[in-house]
Amino acid sequence: MKRVLEGSHAVAEAVRLANVQVVSAYPITPQTHIVEIISDYCAKGKMNAKFIPVESEHSCLAALVGAQSAGVRTFTATSSQGLALMHEILHWVSAARLPIVMVDVNRALGPGWNIWTDQTDSLSQRDTGWIQLYCEDGQEVLDTTLQAFRLAERVNLPVMVVLDAFFLSHTYEPVDVPEQKEVDRFLPSYSPRFNLDTRNPYTLSPLVTPAFYMEMRHDMALAMDEAMTCFAEIEEEYAALFNRRYGSVEAVTCDDAEIILVTSGTITSTTRLLLEELRAKGEKVGLLKMKMFRPFPVEAVCRALGRAKKVAVIDRNFSFGAGGVFAQEIKAALYKLPVRPTVFGYIAGLGGRDVTTDVLEEIYIKTRETDLPSQESIWIGLQEVKYAN
Amino acid sequence: MNTATMNLRPLFMPRTHETTEGNKTGSWRYLRPRYEDKTSPCSAACPAGEDIARIEMLSAQGFFKEAWETILRENPLPGVCGRVCFHPCEGICNREGFDSSLAIHTIERHLADTAARNDLKPALEKLASQPQKIAIIGSGPAGLSAAWFFTMLGYACDIYEALSEAGGILRWGIPEYRLPAPVLRTEIGRIESQGIRIFTGKHISESELNKLRGNYSAVFMGCGYSRSTPLGVSGETSESVKDGLEFLRSVRQGEKPSCQGLSAVIGGGNTAVDVARTVIRLGGKAAILYRRRRQDMPAFAEEIAMAMEEGVALHELLAPGAIEAQGDQYKLILRKMKIEGQDKDGRGRIVPDGDKTSEVTVERIFTATGADVAEPWYNPPSDKSGAITLSHCQIKFDKGGIPLVYGGDLTNVTKNVTQAIASGKQAAMAIDTYFQQGRDAIESRLASCRVGDGLSLSMEVYMQGARRLRSSHIVQPEEINTDYFQFEARVVQPRLLVEERTGSFNEIDMRISANLAIREASRCFNCGLCNQCDNCYIFCPDVAVIRGRNMEDRHINFDYCKGCGLCAAECPRNAVTLEREGL
Repeated sequence: MKRVLEGSHAVAEAVRLANVQVVSAYPITPQTHIVEIISDYCAKGKMNAKFIPVESEHSCLAALVGAQSAGVRTFTATSSQGLALMHEILHWVSAARLPIVMVDVNRALGPGWNIWTDQTDSLSQRDTGWIQLYCEDGQEVLDTTLQAFRLAERVNLPVMVVLDAFFLSHTYEPVDVPEQKEVDRFLPSYSPRFNLDTRNPYTLSPLVTPAFYMEMRHDMALAMDEAMTCFAEIEEEYAALFNRRYGSVEAVTCDDAEIILVTSGTITSTTRLLLEELRAKGEKVGLLKMKMFRPFPVEAVCRALGRAKKVAVIDRNFSFGAGGVFAQEIKAALYKLPVRPTVFGYIAGLGGRDVTTDVLEEIYIKTRETDLPSQESIWIGLQEVKYAN
Repeated sequence: MNTATMNLRPLFMPRTHETTEGNKTGSWRYLRPRYEDKTSPCSAACPAGEDIARIEMLSAQGFFKEAWETILRENPLPGVCGRVCFHPCEGICNREGFDSSLAIHTIERHLADTAARNDLKPALEKLASQPQKIAIIGSGPAGLSAAWFFTMLGYACDIYEALSEAGGILRWGIPEYRLPAPVLRTEIGRIESQGIRIFTGKHISESELNKLRGNYSAVFMGCGYSRSTPLGVSGETSESVKDGLEFLRSVRQGEKPSCQGLSAVIGGGNTAVDVARTVIRLGGKAAILYRRRRQDMPAFAEEIAMAMEEGVALHELLAPGAIEAQGDQYKLILRKMKIEGQDKDGRGRIVPDGDKTSEVTVERIFTATGADVAEPWYNPPSDKSGAITLSHCQIKFDKGGIPLVYGGDLTNVTKNVTQAIASGKQAAMAIDTYFQQGRDAIESRLASCRVGDGLSLSMEVYMQGARRLRSSHIVQPEEINTDYFQFEARVVQPRLLVEERTGSFNEIDMRISANLAIREASRCFNCGLCNQCDNCYIFCPDVAVIRGRNMEDRHINFDYCKGCGLCAAECPRNAVTLEREGL
């Protein structure tokens, strides 16, 4: 049934439909609307789940480690500083092979204290062993959250579903909310591959010596590779039931494009508008939307970008001393090609600054008019600043 | 196709069926927790040393009989003290700084009234019978308390009472509207049911006392202060100035003395307030004249406030100067006083305000400035040689070694009901120790029964009850983990309306429901007393808190306790002590 929902509420509806059994969360703007609704559902019995309020995000994820180890489906949501505080447990969850699903609402890290959207919080967790999926709109948020449980439980790795603060989390859109019966066909109740059992006691995650640590980590690496193929299978299954699919990446008019803009999150929607305008003017331009970031869809990226002359990667994030994170990863992916497009790295929209079609057009024109990027990272829309004496 | 039917790749992940019990994390420990019940400030402040933290814990759980028995181990008169005690316990309550102190006296009264209404019989420990018999002179709070505790320790007691009914000041001094006679009779009935004989209407003279000493192994003198001290001003006669205590006694004996017109009451203590309020109830007008200010009055502030609601006038900084008869009336000449500097006790020092005087014409004058013994020989002899002086009594031995104990008002520095009860208890402990171990043992034996660091003594500790394991450390407010408590308003004492009060001697304070009593008792922090809340069990990261089948025998498994101290930090009431290892 179509309903007009906030992005946050699309998450909550998906969690309700997923028959999650334990939710733990600590409120933080802009994540609060998600857990507000879920806690209300738990309190009113609309969800048959235990909601564990905690005093910090660190405890929140630790509580889910316990719950998921006991063999139940779990969920949490956080943002920015909250995700940063979880960092230690993020590593633990993936190596303990616990299929926890989390939603991270992208928010800038402080200081300067800022509640608006910025991807640095989730992207700086890229090496924690979590699968990361970035969403563009409310429907994709709902669909991806449901798929995330299937994917996580399939490969026994945790999944982070990522959405932009406010532009997505607080924006109302029509969202098709599927029936419980249909969702149950796609996502049956959780059957854990291992769980703590007092009748047959054992210890999970004990000391692992150098003799086996590498093998254990290698198994995680294989699982992450497997996630790539599994994701496609799960998407197909989902499409068969609900007629919606997104792909690990989405290439729009890339086949004959000379310049391709690479985006993620809500900037993608804005770029779609610009693309129509430019194509109408005869510009040979394409768009590559990055949905999956971990595992990084190297093959799909090479397939989409391989024939272009230039690639403009728009990063709403920054890795100090290196550059935009998507740009780095795209460059690394393209390295295996014998002939590679020139990659321009653009930094835009940090701390929630609006990225409009004008901003995107400026990026396109800059890319078109120069043969090589003037810098590793080109910061767009910087104002003159006055320094205090 | 779902995951159940899918061909899943096996997981390579570490797990072990080996127990981790081999890792004795206790070896890391340098701090050591220990379950240690401590002393609540209220119980140390209670002259009777009542185990208040435990009383409230039991009350909160609805164990009213057990809570009532816990009081009776230390105080035979909960119905009386729940009404008339000045409750210093509440003044020092650790909850005061959190929201407001616990209404300890209200719960005490509730427990006593519940026991009375259901005709409960206490099941208390009693030691084996002793051959010695004890005579007790006076059946006021000191005498009743002495009899109760002597009986508990196995001694047969006879009480001799001069008036027609037992109770002393409780029966004849405190007005009915504060302490109804049926309440007192129930308490005395319970004391008598322990096998104590009370001979009423039996005035003991000095020579009769000497005769008694031949028939008993010890005598307790609890004759009290039953006469108001004279004003010492010119024109004072038995006609012009009436004894306030005598007045109260006559009313409680059923007389209805005429109180028409204005009565002046000189004094600032509870007797003065009682006299004034009694005058009002008999249809008169009353003015309290006090030489200091209202805030200096020893009377309970709440009683003063209620007296003024009832129409009693209060005139401060006026001292009686002289009395002149004017027909049927009296002219009272008053010296005006003023405050100049401070006394040793911190109260404002009062001095005459020059020669300023004022006058008031009244129908009668009551003195309530202080009290004294009815007969001079009641007082302990000034010759202290061979005597033992304790905080609440004095023991004098005759030639045959028979001890004569002076107690209650006769020896107490602070003279009130609960201090009198403390005196009776101290006397019983001291004389029992004297009989069993000799006089040299008295001091140390009593010291070992102290509640906290003050003068209050515990009979339960004396009788080797579980309370002896309590540490004497008094729990301080900062030792309470208030994260575990929520603000909750103190119970409001329901009272008669002013209009209902002034027209009768009906009890002013009404009883509260069991629900309210439980709710109020639940506000108690139970300072220093484990109430099995299980916080330590829940928080211990090493599962080192071990509980028995009934959650009793709580102890710590030191093989695994690594001394993190969470149990002590999360204990809401400081019932866990954390110490350096090896100390």
